[in-house]
Amino acid sequence: MNVVLTPTMVGQVVISGILSGVLYGMVALGLALIFGVMRIINVAHGPLLMLGAYSTFFLYSTWGLNPYLTVPISMAVLFGVGLLLERTLVFRVVDAPELSSLLLTFGISIALVNAAQLAFTSDLRSVEYVTGSWIVGPFALSKSRTIAFAFAGVLTAAAFLFLGYTRLGKAIRATSQSRDVAMVCGIDVGAIHRLTFGLASALAAAGGALIAMIVAIQPEMGQIWTFKSFLVIVLGGAGNYPGALLGGMLLGLVEQLASLFLTTQLSEVVAYVLLVLVLLVRPTGLLGGRQT
Amino acid sequence: MKRVALGAALLAVLAALAMYPAYGTGYGTRAVLQVFMWVALAGSWNIISGLTGYVSFGHVAFFGAGAYTAGILIAGSGWSWPVAAVAGGVAAALLALGIGGPCLRLKGPYFAIAMLGLNEVLRALVSYFERLTGGGNGLSLPTLDATVPIYYAMGLTAIAVTLAARLIIGSRFGLRLMTIREDEVAAEAMGIPTFRHKLLAFLLSAIGPGIAGALTARDQGYIEPLSVFPLATTITMIVMTLFGGKGTVWGPVLGAVVLFVAQEFVWARYPYIHPLLFGAIIIAVVLAMPRGVLGLLQLKYRLPRTI
Amino acid sequence: MVDVHKHFGGVRAVSGVSLTLERGRIYGLIGPNGSGKTTLFNCITGVERLDSGRVLLDGARLDHLKPYQIARRGVGRTFQIIRVFPELTALENLLVVTTGPRDAAEARARELLGFVKLERLAGEYAGNLSFGQQKLVEFVRMLMRDPSLILLDEPAAGVNRTLLNDLLEAVRRLRDQGRTVLLVEHDMKVVMGLCETVFVLDHGEKIAEGLPGVIQTDERVIEAYFGR
Repeated sequence: MNVVLTPTMVGQVVISGILSGVLYGMVALGLALIFGVMRIINVAHGPLLMLGAYSTFFLYSTWGLNPYLTVPISMAVLFGVGLLLERTLVFRVVDAPELSSLLLTFGISIALVNAAQLAFTSDLRSVEYVTGSWIVGPFALSKSRTIAFAFAGVLTAAAFLFLGYTRLGKAIRATSQSRDVAMVCGIDVGAIHRLTFGLASALAAAGGALIAMIVAIQPEMGQIWTFKSFLVIVLGGAGNYPGALLGGMLLGLVEQLASLFLTTQLSEVVAYVLLVLVLLVRPTGLLGGRQT
Repeated sequence: MKRVALGAALLAVLAALAMYPAYGTGYGTRAVLQVFMWVALAGSWNIISGLTGYVSFGHVAFFGAGAYTAGILIAGSGWSWPVAAVAGGVAAALLALGIGGPCLRLKGPYFAIAMLGLNEVLRALVSYFERLTGGGNGLSLPTLDATVPIYYAMGLTAIAVTLAARLIIGSRFGLRLMTIREDEVAAEAMGIPTFRHKLLAFLLSAIGPGIAGALTARDQGYIEPLSVFPLATTITMIVMTLFGGKGTVWGPVLGAVVLFVAQEFVWARYPYIHPLLFGAIIIAVVLAMPRGVLGLLQLKYRLPRTI
Repeated sequence: MVDVHKHFGGVRAVSGVSLTLERGRIYGLIGPNGSGKTTLFNCITGVERLDSGRVLLDGARLDHLKPYQIARRGVGRTFQIIRVFPELTALENLLVVTTGPRDAAEARARELLGFVKLERLAGEYAGNLSFGQQKLVEFVRMLMRDPSLILLDEPAAGVNRTLLNDLLEAVRRLRDQGRTVLLVEHDMKVVMGLCETVFVLDHGEKIAEGLPGVIQTDERVIEAYFGR
């Protein structure tokens, strides 16, 4: 491929990478929390994001709400959904072998995707609210992606503040480090699990809500997000929450870089190869983390 | 005494199936052909995921690989379909080697994640190499009405897979695969080379889907990425095995027959209900009946391991 | 000569531990919780990688081998928390370990089960056995490969008196057969009564080595366990 690299192109790539990277990081943080606190691999994470996207779509198209205002609403809705899922289904496999939780969340993800197909049909939807780009110097910043970046940044920061400075947040971190010790310290581990699952769903929903304004909405949109979120966690280290953010940026950058040389179709292949490579070379993640 | 009776019953069923195309309808023959295909698929998935506990979420990749290999060989190079089917199996095995080599070194859950992404990747690759594969437009094979011979070929494949499962589960190799599921660290400490075992099981589990994919490609006469790499195929394989009893010999067969029949008579009219129902079945089985029907019976009535 | 020589163990948990074991003797490894005993075992059996140092068995290096290769060289191990294969029968638990002709393997497996008086439970799923029975199954499973070096991780934990005596007797018999035994144990009576030499670890370092009686009165050991 003959591509002449100019500094501008590289700069554009870096900017685009960071814009999408923070979004990846936010969504992956949710998955990381579930994995860290409950030791469960939530295959249904992508579908939850998809539901967040649909939630925003319907709030926007039915009531004409400013889609950015629907972000917290979608988050709240999916928080509830997450709580419900945990309370009815997921809690039963927290102590079971990993195979069970994998299969269970897989089953939930299929159920959610197909329920969405039934309810919403697979017609493509979109929320066209903000279009075009801001031109800053030689760079073009897609408006919708930049606003999404800003939202994701704020939400991620809020999540970290919550985890670091509030009692509940600390309880979550304590449970993630050692469930038994947390129990002995009087933490209601079951409640923490529910909260974590709800929180993760809310973060996924936020991702979905923001993405709804950038890409087409359809029931299967979440699948690739599940995979990419795992990739981010692998990059950043399992159980390493700040690592999720950095892993997200790394993925964003790598993807954008790859798109310079390869078509977008192959960028998924790049992500996949990256995943396998990292898992082989440094299974604890690039930044170090826990092994399963 | 019981053994002889069961053996005779089995032979009777096989004989009936062998004679079916002669007196059955075209639709009926196609339907049974499909059941054979699912038996081969579910039974193969069982060999890797049921025994070792390494969940292969991307197993349809082997089906698709076999389909495209045979498709390209038949349409492009004029191979005959039986040979192309074997080639499909070989291609699938090679793919398994290539994927399994790196991915099986990962711990269980990470392997599952890697397999999740495999589907998407293969679909993207097929679209990318358009010249060879016909890309999104699909690949057409020269018309040929070979449904009956393919019926027999698929039936043989199903029998072969079930036989392979019976041999594996009854052997120490099979026991060793199970120790990987039970406690991989302890297995290694006992001198069992777990990676080698996983890889072999993975290879064996890819051949059946590869051949089945090749045969299906010939039978349909047309393949495109969406039709041979659908997630639904993997989902169905998994549900059938889970429902019937993972880790057992006849579990996948039972699951394939029961769920296919149910699917045909009840759910085919509502195209989107049935995957939803499958998702619900997976949830229900995992929570209430993790060993599946045969697994439960095996436990309750102390049936032999090779059930 | 069975010679396990290991210094500068892996991971921060063990640093600069050097042990030399001779064939046909029983060694004890004691130390307060967290002193690195299980990590040391993991390093010897290949479960953990050494950051530096060597593990030698009869002069041959073990430290870069995979766990299953180390097991095949004649290193047997039991675990702190019992790790039988619950969905395999007691017999199958032993059978999976060997590769030779099935009849011979099965005969040997039954013989070993008989050794610990569990023959009639051969067809029972290991997960259904009692704690003590599982412990015995794990013990004889380890013997299937005829190990020359045996690592026992807290063999006495949770075991009643009678069973314990049988186990200790078995260990002595293994020693008499010329095997080397290294056991981690918290039960001091067991250590004192069984081991010929005792190593003491504290915070990942070896702080004492010698006869059980001498170790008992060693100041550093007392300090490690009870503080000043």
